[in-house]
Amino acid sequence: MAENIKETVLNILQDLTGEDLANNLDDNLFDNALLDSMDTVQLLLELQDQLGVTVPVSEFDRSQWDTAAKIIKKVADAQ
Amino acid sequence: MIKNIIDTIDSIAQADPDRPAYNVLGEINTYGELKQASDGVAATLAEKNIPAGPIMIYCDQSFATIAAMLGAVKSGHAYIPVDTHSPNDRLAMIEEIAQPVYVLALADLPIAMHTPVMTPAEVTAAIASGKQAANLQPVQGDENFYILFTSGTTGQPKGVQISHRNLVSFVNWMHTFDLPMHPKMLSQAPYSFDLSVMDLYVGLAAGGCIEVMPKSVTDNLMQLFATLPRLDLQVWVSTPSFLDIALLEPTFDAAHYPDLEMILLCGEELTHATAAKVLERFPEIRLYNTYGPTETTVAVSAVQITQQVLADHARLPIGIMQPEDAVSLKDAREQDGHQVGELVISGESVSKGYINRPEKTAAVFSTAVDGTQSYATGDLGYIDDDGMIFYLGRTDFQIKLNGFRIELEEVNHFLSDAPMIRQGVAVPKYNADHKVAQLLAFVVPEANDYESNLALTKAIKSYLGGVMMPYMIPQRFIYRDSLPQTQNNKVAIKALIAEVNDQ
Repeated sequence: MAENIKETVLNILQDLTGEDLANNLDDNLFDNALLDSMDTVQLLLELQDQLGVTVPVSEFDRSQWDTAAKIIKKVADAQ
Repeated sequence: MIKNIIDTIDSIAQADPDRPAYNVLGEINTYGELKQASDGVAATLAEKNIPAGPIMIYCDQSFATIAAMLGAVKSGHAYIPVDTHSPNDRLAMIEEIAQPVYVLALADLPIAMHTPVMTPAEVTAAIASGKQAANLQPVQGDENFYILFTSGTTGQPKGVQISHRNLVSFVNWMHTFDLPMHPKMLSQAPYSFDLSVMDLYVGLAAGGCIEVMPKSVTDNLMQLFATLPRLDLQVWVSTPSFLDIALLEPTFDAAHYPDLEMILLCGEELTHATAAKVLERFPEIRLYNTYGPTETTVAVSAVQITQQVLADHARLPIGIMQPEDAVSLKDAREQDGHQVGELVISGESVSKGYINRPEKTAAVFSTAVDGTQSYATGDLGYIDDDGMIFYLGRTDFQIKLNGFRIELEEVNHFLSDAPMIRQGVAVPKYNADHKVAQLLAFVVPEANDYESNLALTKAIKSYLGGVMMPYMIPQRFIYRDSLPQTQNNKVAIKALIAEVNDQ
């Protein structure tokens, strides 16, 4: 299950950024301009659609979602 | 009817100096303070005996920014708002094209300018000076009030000149929308984006309070939703994209925002889905879809979206013209039972053209014998028997992404200029509602030593960040050995658009 989450999150991020982040799990997505604030909205919608994880936007603190690894952990914890 | 914007705002200050005018996260400035601050800036500028011409304002969303803008027009100079998030090259290019006579810096300038500069400390001092000049000749009539730079196809931005007369026409029309008394209006767009005029001047001229949502807050969703309920908003002004973000929060509804009476949307197409969601959350609200290019002063047409309008139209109309402007169709031809053509707007709110770019101006603006100004928008549409306008698309490669206007050719210019790129083109990816969801770049890279495509993308994005506005930079880069060509040996952009959108 955990591998499945990881793969799905990486696929979503690849759709948004065009990049395969499997070997760059700890890269900061915002500092590197790979994601902007409109992309994060898209990210949340995709997580909801594909993994059934509803993240209340009012709890979306960007600093806790700024790498692929952090996003994967957040999603795994929420499931 | 308002005759003069500056006099109207000043007269509110004289009648009711303690009335709140500007609220930045609880830091409130009154109309009295706004008058004093802008008078101080105007008087300080007047002492400098600067020649006629526009003043560039390197601006953020602070109270000092609007004091500087009003101070400039009070001293007889149009202002050019340039956002602090602008890349250095764009700053330099705007200075070169607009030839400003002075720069008011609200933050430290990142580059040396060829124009005399009032530093942030000097602006602060001017605001606090308490000075008043006796013989000012504020901007009036056909004189420029503000000049906004938009995307240009060759990588050179175009400065749209909006006169006092243009602005008065727009504000008077907006004041027929039955705004609440002293409206509390959301101000979220940066001042370099003309959507901001819809909250700032429409609000101030109505004695309202501008409720500022700084970019630093909107960038972080958690902060955004912590701040939004505290503004007690009555009038929402934004792009549909920004409203979509708000709608992600289930508590964004009439029960939690009881004071919200109206929503004014502009800057990009409003989808049926977004409008339907708004009316579901806020059954009593007055929701307006408005339309207009920067060249015609923010917006020229509007329609209230009701359940009836939603039921009647799968793709929403963009409204009926404001009374001082007219719309006509250029090169109209029959399509699906309608006469479809390029929307041409003429009348009081149409700009005189692009500053110092006569050839670009002549290409899209014209002046009738009686002096009426017209602008060919590049937007395709049709008009029904009631005068309701329907938008269908563009005649060129201009797109809207999250409300920002982007010329794909400008993006292509910067891509191809990048040292890591041999050839590059930007391609929009559309969603099911005809909206651009993402901007992609197809790139043939130069030979390089980057260890991965990710490293190459990072390097390209970093380079582009120095030369173009962040919202214009493609989100995704797709690398190819070559790009498809048309028979004329140009990149077949339409083929790439079809590929990306599975057509």
